[in-house]
This record gives sequence, structure tokens and C-alpha cells, in this order.
Amino acid sequence: MWIKNLLDVCGKELRKTVSDVGVLVFFIVVPLLYPLLYAYLYGREVVREVPVVAVDDCRSTTSREFLRKSDATPDLKIISYCSDMEEARNLLHRHKAYGVIYIPPELDRTLEEGRQATINLYCDMSGLLYYKAMLSGCTMVSLEMNRDIQMVRLSGMSDREKEVMTMPIGNEYVTMFNPTNGFQGFLIPAVLILVLQQTLVLGVAMMAGTEHERRRRGELVLGEEYSNPITVLGGKGLAYLLVYGFTATYVLCVVPWLFHMPQLWKLPTLVAFIVPFLLASIFFAISISFFVRDRESCFLLFVFVSVPLIFMSGISWPTSNMPAFWKVFAQIFPSTQGVNGFARINTSGALLQDVRYELIALWIQAAAYFMTSLFIYERLYRSDKMPGVEFVLAMRARARRNVRVAVRDIRNDIEEAAERILEHRKK
Amino acid sequence: MSMNSGFWAIVRRESARMLSRPLYGLSMVCAPLFCFIFFTTLMREGLPESLPAGVVDEDNSTVSRSILRNLDSYQQTEIIRQYANFAEAREAMQRNEIYGFFYIPKGTELKASSQQQPVISIYTNATYLIPSSLLYRDMKTMAVMAAAAAGREVLFAKGANMDQAMGFLQPIRMDMHALGNPWLNYNVYLSNTMLPAVLVLMVLMVTCFSIHTELKDGTAGEWLAMADDNILKAVSAKLFPQTMLFLLMALIYIVLLYGYLEFPAHNGFWPMMLAAGLLILASQGFAVFIASAIPSLRWSLSLCTLWGVLSIPISGFSFPVMGMPEALQAMSYMFPLRYYFLIYVDQALNGIPMVFSAWFYTALIVFLILPLVDISLLRKAAHEYTYLP
Repeated sequence: MWIKNLLDVCGKELRKTVSDVGVLVFFIVVPLLYPLLYAYLYGREVVREVPVVAVDDCRSTTSREFLRKSDATPDLKIISYCSDMEEARNLLHRHKAYGVIYIPPELDRTLEEGRQATINLYCDMSGLLYYKAMLSGCTMVSLEMNRDIQMVRLSGMSDREKEVMTMPIGNEYVTMFNPTNGFQGFLIPAVLILVLQQTLVLGVAMMAGTEHERRRRGELVLGEEYSNPITVLGGKGLAYLLVYGFTATYVLCVVPWLFHMPQLWKLPTLVAFIVPFLLASIFFAISISFFVRDRESCFLLFVFVSVPLIFMSGISWPTSNMPAFWKVFAQIFPSTQGVNGFARINTSGALLQDVRYELIALWIQAAAYFMTSLFIYERLYRSDKMPGVEFVLAMRARARRNVRVAVRDIRNDIEEAAERILEHRKK
Repeated sequence: MSMNSGFWAIVRRESARMLSRPLYGLSMVCAPLFCFIFFTTLMREGLPESLPAGVVDEDNSTVSRSILRNLDSYQQTEIIRQYANFAEAREAMQRNEIYGFFYIPKGTELKASSQQQPVISIYTNATYLIPSSLLYRDMKTMAVMAAAAAGREVLFAKGANMDQAMGFLQPIRMDMHALGNPWLNYNVYLSNTMLPAVLVLMVLMVTCFSIHTELKDGTAGEWLAMADDNILKAVSAKLFPQTMLFLLMALIYIVLLYGYLEFPAHNGFWPMMLAAGLLILASQGFAVFIASAIPSLRWSLSLCTLWGVLSIPISGFSFPVMGMPEALQAMSYMFPLRYYFLIYVDQALNGIPMVFSAWFYTALIVFLILPLVDISLLRKAAHEYTYLP
């Protein structure tokens, strides 16, 4: 009965998983702790109070007001007022500050003359967030001061008139779905999905490596006593799906909740999306685990892949601007669809029809990787490189030969007896 | 000394071991090369251009249309579609068709002409942080310009010239200078640390794996005997061919970044090559330290892997270290890649005198000599250790 066999394989696979510490680390411990570490790392979302230095060559009320207001923004913190650029540069070089605000001597005079004055900002480009902080902080201050300057120049009009005159059409900015506009909200969903896929790959590959080592030693490996590879594959897939049902619930639901991240999913949508993702990842893992020759080589082969994979998903560098080759190449990994789908379901509250493309792609991947796993399993069974199978076949052949010999012996005995009886009767 | 012992004999033996298994070739050459090519080609545009954005014009007036005409003239933003209402645009964003949109509400023209200051809104999808930030920058400028265009017309009508008009509309202007990377090139920003990061990860894993495989396969006795039971000699000879191969990989990425792609390297080739070489040696040193401290292949390899993977965020090149919790800020000093990143900022990006980076170079050398602390444990393990799966 195939269903009994399937459940049998599933049970044995679960037992094997639980009894192997190395695999348990991948299936349970890493998914448990690694996302927490990442969420903790990016917990503050944005950088505040970026240290900058000021060089004020104007030394007027206006320049002091500008610097005071910049210091008061949440983005910037003026750590020192330098007498010249040389001194400021020195602080920059010693990583004490990440930017310089330079106010030229002619600031006041230019403003008096009614012309446009310039304030120079110099920013260290070792991190783009410094640039962002400096630009947004100073722009905010300059907008505010510009408004004040205009108000003074327009004295004689009513306040409302002035406002309309200076800003005839206003604007407002809304960052949707990731309200703090921070790192955690954008990177963590991708990390979570990647953790699921990569731990599956590593765990399954480690088991495959162990099996390979045992086969080399001529020991029997689970599954080979069942003749049908579909049963073996189905049983294993079911076992991993059961384990990852729990792991995924924790990683995708509990972790974001612990860190107060946006969670806009509806349960049926999430389940309908994650199940094909897990299936695709499981059979992807089984397919590539055949390249693993021993227990520990999975580290060397698969860990580094996470780094390009996170970029392939398009969560960082936008998909719309990727070279066509990488866009297509990225489609073969479940994580690409997984990250895009989950990020939108979780963070932007997308519904199933909004992630239709990803969903279909995941089902196709699941089916395709099931077929490749099946193909490789079939070949493994037929392959004569496998001492396990050879052993079984040899035993079976010997048993058959023994039976044949026994039958022949019995037949000989009977014939002999019959002859003897016939001889006896003749007498 | 017999033919089968001594430094060079172990080097020959290790080279043969490396050649005998495709695993080494895959992880030491193919994996880094793949990543080198992947990252540099992925972001070859430098700064994303023509990011898809949308527009919702519920006003449909002369004013709103004149705003729309101005929108499409920016390099980084491409208005791909006009949506009928807010919900439609939001759904397009959820489907990932656009990264942001403008919303011009009904009554904009009416309010503008009756001096009630209408507001147009900018929405971006911050689930995708980079395109969202870039779009915001463009769209904000567009909105301000659209508003200014209206004000400028009034001033021109009053007889002001361009200079005076700008002096009134924007009395103080910000002039931003991005030091070292004036193009805000993301390829420069990310690849400069991503490529060595992948290499560090592979160095940590391969070093730890190759040492502990000796113990697992039961060949450690033979290996130590060849070095006359001198563990330092045994390890350095064993790692020598790996060092050479990894240095070659480092040379390849340095030439790729600063030679072929012409990324800024203000102090030239040598400071960066020195940093890359020391980074490799530091990673090897750190891996030997871990391999000696933890006499289990899987656990020491796990720790090395964790270190390699963690060094990417904790080096602080994407999210600054000063924005991390204090505990992690302190931990960042324990990662070789962090020092490499600081050297890169000084030597390649900012081009300041090498004396400013002297401490960072020294720190990398400290990682290299770190194994001296506990390498005797490895010798003991090599004699007594039994492999546990």
C-alpha cells in the first residue's frame, strides 16, 4: 500500500531529523535565533544624530541660526565648530565626523542683495545613510529659513497671503507600508524568507551528505527498501513540510510581531502563498543535495549563495533596473518569488491576486523541482555505483539462487526416492 | 629530513588534496568569481534610472496637466501610467508595477486660483527602500518646482529677472558634495565591500574545513608527522597553497574594481592590495583560532560560517555601525572585514594619508597572529580527537 509506505518514510525521516543534531541546528536553532539577531541589528531602523562639523566663515545671526537649527534636527549633531576646512577635514579623516557644513563669508551680503545664497555641504560617502541624513536635515532647515526670509520680505501682506505667495501649491510625503522608512522594515522580510530556504537547503544537504558517506561505507540507506521513488520523495517532502510548518510560523509570524514590524497579511493569503514556497524550497533542496558528497561540505557549497540571492530578489537593487540575464536567472530560485511575495503580503497588505505571478511561479518551481528530484532518485536507484542497492540486489539474487538450489535438491531427492521405489517394486 | 617531510612536502600534499576534490575548486575559485561578476554586473547602471512611478490626477485641470507635463523630465523617474483613482494606484504598488505615485486631488486648480493652497501628495513604497528613497528625492523636487513655477510666473509678471526670482523663491540653496562618490554610484557603494565579504566567508569556511577534515578522515597523524609534530609548521604549510590561491582571487577583484571598472582608488593600487592581502591572512588566522578552540568539525565550521555571514551587516557599509545597538557596536571590532571596510573608506574612497589607517592595518595583523594563543589545542586534538557526526 503506497500511502502506508509514504507515511512510513515520513515517520522514519522525522525520526532521523530529530536524532541528528547537525540537522536540528539548521531546521530549528538557526531559524529560531538568526532572525532575532538581524532584527536586533537593524532595530533602530535609521541613523539619528549623525556627527558633523561646522565651518562658519560668515559668523552672522543667519549663519548661527542655520547651524543651531541643523543641530536641533533629529538627523544631525554638530560635534565641533572648526575654524577652517583643514581642521574639519582632519576630524573627517579620523572618523569623528561624517560631514561638514560650510557657510561662506558672503552669505549675509548675498541675502541682503536679494540674490540666491549657497551653503556647501560635504558628506563622507562611506555610507549612504549619512548622505541621506545630511541632505534631509539641512534641506528641512533651509526650507524653514527660506520661508521666514520670504515672510519678512513680504511684510505688508496678510499671513495667509504670504503663505500662498511663497508656496502656492503645497506638498506632503507619505511613505507607505514601512512607516519609519527604515532598514528593519525593508530588509527583515527578505532575510526571513531567505533563512527558511537556506536552512532547508543546508539541513537536507547535510542529511544527503551523511547518506552518501554511509553508502560509501556500504550501509543501507533509508528509502531504498521501498521500490517506488515517488513514495520515498513524497514521504520525505511531507516530513520536511511538517517541520517547516512550525518553523515558518515562528519565523514569519512571531518574529515580526516580536519586533513590532508591519504585519498586514490575512491568514488564508499567507498560508496559500507559503505552502507552495515551502514545497518549492523542499524539492529545490532535495534536488541540489545530490551534489553533496559528505556531511559538512554543504557549508562550503551553499552558504555563500544567500548573499547574491538576497540581491536577486530585488528587495535592494530594484528589479526594474537589473540586467535581463540576472532577472531571468533569479527566477530559478524559490527565494526570489518568496521574498517578493512575502514582502508585499506582509508589509504592503497585498492579496493573493496581487502576487499572482509569484504564486504561479512557485507552483511551477515546486513541480519542476519535484520532477528533477524524481529523475535523480530514479537514476540513483538504477545506478550501480550504489553499494546499498547492489547489496540488496546481491542478497536477493543469493536468496533466489538458494531457493533454486533447494528446489533442485528436493526435486533430485524426490526423483531419487521415486526411482528407488520403482526399483523396489520391480524387485 | 626525508623526502616526505618538511614544509614543501606538506605544501605538495595539500595541493594534491585540493586538486583531488572538486569541492575546493568550487568554493575557492568558482564561488568568489561568480559573486564578483554577479555584483558588478547587477548594479552596472550605478544609480537606478527610470524607476517606474505613476500618477493619479483627480483634478483633470489645466494646472494639474501642467504639473504632469513637468514630471516626466527627470532622469531617475519614469511616469509609466496614469491611474483613475487612489485605490488603483495603491494596487499597482502592491503588484510591484510602480514604486511610487503622485496624487493630485480634486479641486487643486480651484483652490490654487482662490488662494487656498492646495496640497499634492507623494506616495512611495518603502518596502523597497532604495527605489523609494530615490523616487522621493525626484518627486519632491518636482513638486517644489511645480509650485515654484507658479510663483515664478507671478514674479516675472511683476518685472523680476531670473536671478531675482530665484533669490526670492529660494533664498538659501544647499550645494551637496558627495566626497569620493559624487555620482552616488551604488555599485561603488556596495561592491567595494560585497566582493571582499564573499571572499572572507569562503576563506573562513575553507580554512576551518580543510583543517578539520584531516581530523575527520584520520589523516591528521600523518600530516603532523610530516611537520615533525610541529603544529605551527603543519598549519602554515597546509594553508600556504590556499593563501596563494586566495591572494590570486583578491588580486582579481582589486584589478576588477579599480582597474577595469575604474572605481575611485585615490591612493592607488598598493594600499588596497595590501589591505586585501592582510584581510585574507587575518581571516585565515581567525579560522585557525576557531578551529583550534573548538575540536569539532561541524561546530567550528558553523561558527566560522556565522562569522563570515555576520561580517556583512556588521562591517557597517550598508547600515552604519553607529546606528546599531551598543552590544553589536562593540562586537564589530571582532570582525576582520570591519577593519578592511575602514581602510577602504580611507584609502580608496577618501584618499587620505596611510598613517590614518595604520591602526586598521595593525588590527588585521593581530587577527593573523591570534592562533598563537590556542594552536597547541589543535595539536592535542590532532592526536586524540575522534570524529563525531
